[in-house]
Amino acid sequence: MMLHTTHFGAIPVDESATIEFPEGLPGFESCRRFVPLESAGGPGLIFLQSLERQQLCFITLPLRSLWPDYELAISAEERDLLGLDPDQTQAPHDLVLLAILSFVEGEDPTANLLAPVVIHAGTRRAVQVVRQDGRYPIQTPLPVGEMSCS
Amino acid sequence: MLVIRRRPGEAIRIGEDVEIEIIECGPKRVKLGIRAPKEVPVWRAETKAAREQNIAAAGWAGTGALPSLAHRPGWPGAPGIFAEVRRSRL
Repeated sequence: MMLHTTHFGAIPVDESATIEFPEGLPGFESCRRFVPLESAGGPGLIFLQSLERQQLCFITLPLRSLWPDYELAISAEERDLLGLDPDQTQAPHDLVLLAILSFVEGEDPTANLLAPVVIHAGTRRAVQVVRQDGRYPIQTPLPVGEMSCS
Repeated sequence: MLVIRRRPGEAIRIGEDVEIEIIECGPKRVKLGIRAPKEVPVWRAETKAAREQNIAAAGWAGTGALPSLAHRPGWPGAPGIFAEVRRSRL
């Protein structure tokens, strides 16, 4: 199908490429389906484009590319939303963590490490997990000069 | 703050349209069932900050967001970043 987007124009989207957030994202509870896009020009960012709102697109990056030691506990409820076996306590390998980036004019971009997006590549379901600890700030500065890792 | 004691299976009502039922009560957590009209948003209190941050993050257009990344040392692909997008490997 063709998806009309504000930022990228019309792009072909394969149904199998979409990701479902069963509960939406905080603030965007009605936006359930997204497609991850990346720029052909360079690796790094992943754009989470909404299928329901053409102007809604989150700019994200794979969290562990910049914070390789990042750890996250996923609750039974979140496991259920992701379509994981509730008894499986070991995190599967096909979980992808994305940090949503924020931009304020005149300031350096920040990454939301308090509430990462967790995508199960197998079930193609996703959830934004809000950490209960204060280990990582909601506006974490990006490390300078390390953006080239893919 | 109004404090009300309830048992599992009992409920409280807020206004005409909102009902909160105590479904289960464990040693550390309670399970609530919330019946509310579609237009009444219901969310966990701790997601408030995440909610506000998401709304701010979604408003990046017009902030010069991508050019600001382009000027970061080591950033590989920002010039012409919107020229072509493709399905992610995800």
